[in-house]
Amino acid sequence: MTTPAKPADVHRTWRAGRVLLALSCVFAVVAVCGVGWLAVDLYAVGVAAGRLQGETVPWTIERQRLGRNLEQLRLEGQRVLTAPSPAGRQDALFLVHMLSAQPGMADDPRTASLAAEVERFLQQVEAPATPADMRAWEALSSRLRLMADDLSVDGGKRMSRELGRMSGEMAQASYKLLFNLALMAGFMVAFLLVVRRYLIRPLQRIRRVLSALDPRGPVPAFPPGPMAEIRAVEDAIVRFHATLLENDEVRLRLERLATTDGLTGLFNRHHFMALAADEMARAARYGRPITVGIADLDHFKQVNDSLGHAAGDHVLKTFATLLGDTVRQTDRVCRYGGEEFAFVFPETTPDEALLLGERLRARLFESPPVLPDGRRLAVSFSLGLADASGCGLEESLARADLGLYEAKRAGRNRTVVTRRPDGL
Amino acid sequence: MAKTIFRCLSVFFLVAVVGLAHGAERVLKVGVIHHSPPMSYLDASGALTGFNVEIMRELCNEMAARCETVTLTLDRVVDALAAGEVDFAAVSLLVTPERRARVLLTKPYYRSISVWFARPGIKPGEARVAVVKGSIQARYAQAHAWPMQPFDNHEAIFDALAAGRAEAALLPMANAVALRLDTRAPAQALASTVVQDPELAGDASLGVNPRDRALLDKLNDAIDEIKRDGRFDRINTRFIPFRLQ
Repeated sequence: MTTPAKPADVHRTWRAGRVLLALSCVFAVVAVCGVGWLAVDLYAVGVAAGRLQGETVPWTIERQRLGRNLEQLRLEGQRVLTAPSPAGRQDALFLVHMLSAQPGMADDPRTASLAAEVERFLQQVEAPATPADMRAWEALSSRLRLMADDLSVDGGKRMSRELGRMSGEMAQASYKLLFNLALMAGFMVAFLLVVRRYLIRPLQRIRRVLSALDPRGPVPAFPPGPMAEIRAVEDAIVRFHATLLENDEVRLRLERLATTDGLTGLFNRHHFMALAADEMARAARYGRPITVGIADLDHFKQVNDSLGHAAGDHVLKTFATLLGDTVRQTDRVCRYGGEEFAFVFPETTPDEALLLGERLRARLFESPPVLPDGRRLAVSFSLGLADASGCGLEESLARADLGLYEAKRAGRNRTVVTRRPDGL
Repeated sequence: MAKTIFRCLSVFFLVAVVGLAHGAERVLKVGVIHHSPPMSYLDASGALTGFNVEIMRELCNEMAARCETVTLTLDRVVDALAAGEVDFAAVSLLVTPERRARVLLTKPYYRSISVWFARPGIKPGEARVAVVKGSIQARYAQAHAWPMQPFDNHEAIFDALAAGRAEAALLPMANAVALRLDTRAPAQALASTVVQDPELAGDASLGVNPRDRALLDKLNDAIDEIKRDGRFDRINTRFIPFRLQ
């Protein structure tokens, strides 16, 4: 009571199998107790029924037999007093003796004494009977009849007492049965509620989370539940989400490595060619203008030779950044070779591309590369452009390359558009 | 192979049918005595009847058994039961330790007493007493060293009393009633006294083959049943002028 619960116990979990086993055990114990409790009454009913059949009914029937013997005794007595012949009187008297001597008559002290009294009376009466004898006999006869009724009442009373007790026990048994059924039903409902709350609901939640699982989405969160298995699955989902996210990042990194140039961050030649081919196909499909170009930094070998490769790399990176900032979002640029860069300008005529090239030249002139020691390098580039609409990519690039060659020959730091042989 | 299986099945089926039929109706050999009215005697048409005979028939009905009667004399009943010659005997046997030691006895189905018949003034034991061989009364007379005149059955005693060849008799209650009401015999001339001795009174049961306890249980159940449903009383009414208890 006084010791606070440890933090580990706050979210204590239980194995579903053990919980079900424990619930089943509790249910079994309760059911066995209930059935045992009921069985006590059923046993009592069985005992009562056995007693009724084996004792009460035979006893009642014996009472009725005794009653009939009393009636027989009365009839024989009547015959003793009224028999026309001495022989008849003797026969009747003999039966009176037999009836009062036979063992059944002694079963009840009341019948034994009454039968003995009747026997004595009939034996001492001499034939013919006087009116006084007949009056005395009437009284005895009436007592015999009433005694027979009393015996009958005894039997009936005992029978109804037994039946009453038995039906009481049966009623009790049926109440207990109802109680047991209600108990079982309650247990069943409680069991289903537990299963629903701690197994089905979490499973539904897990299904929802899984179907909406997105590595870029938020980390799935589950309210802490008591079932160990559910918790394990939920933890696994969280780990799975982390793995997905990690894999996605790796994939993106690999994709970048495969499509870009490591030094400048521009697309590499292979990826550029694929993108350019798409742009060419689109332009051809819709009959739109498209221009390609190849640029080359002027005197780059001298930079490398005199200032070192690090300075050369710096120049390349600076130029690449300038390209990224200057070209439009729809234009494609790549590092085509050592200091060569290739362009695709969709929706652009060579003359418009020429303006773009000049703008780029102006920007390079305005913000030339600055070495770590603060020296500014005057860097320029030559650019060859070619109209690529209606032509193949390789062919267009070859013509742009011709333009570049032309620009170099004409003194560098300029742009030359190579017209198509058909004059366009 | 198939033939063998077929044969096996046929034999099994036959055995099952025979077994079922056997179970449904068992043949029981029942010992009966003759010439012992009103319990067991031949009626005017020569058919065997009497209280014990009719009770036996109802018991057989109740047990769903076919019963065949085997005629015995009273002094042979216990021996025949002990030897297994009969399955049970439709004879009222007063329960004694000797009988209980040799055969199985059903629950008592009534209680009896014994009656002394003699000319007025002759007390029990004062005259040569006619008894049925093997009866409890014969054993009693012998035990008390009474002069004794043994007979094979009760009718022989009735005849002897009527013909004056016997002067006294010791009889069970039911036979005493029959003697008293027998129109042939001048029993009216005889005085009757109930002999109040525990050895001459008590429970009457049916004897059962000592090796057939299952039959004993069935007979006990059947006795309970016919007493409960009134068949016992109906037979009682036919043969004895009051209720046996």
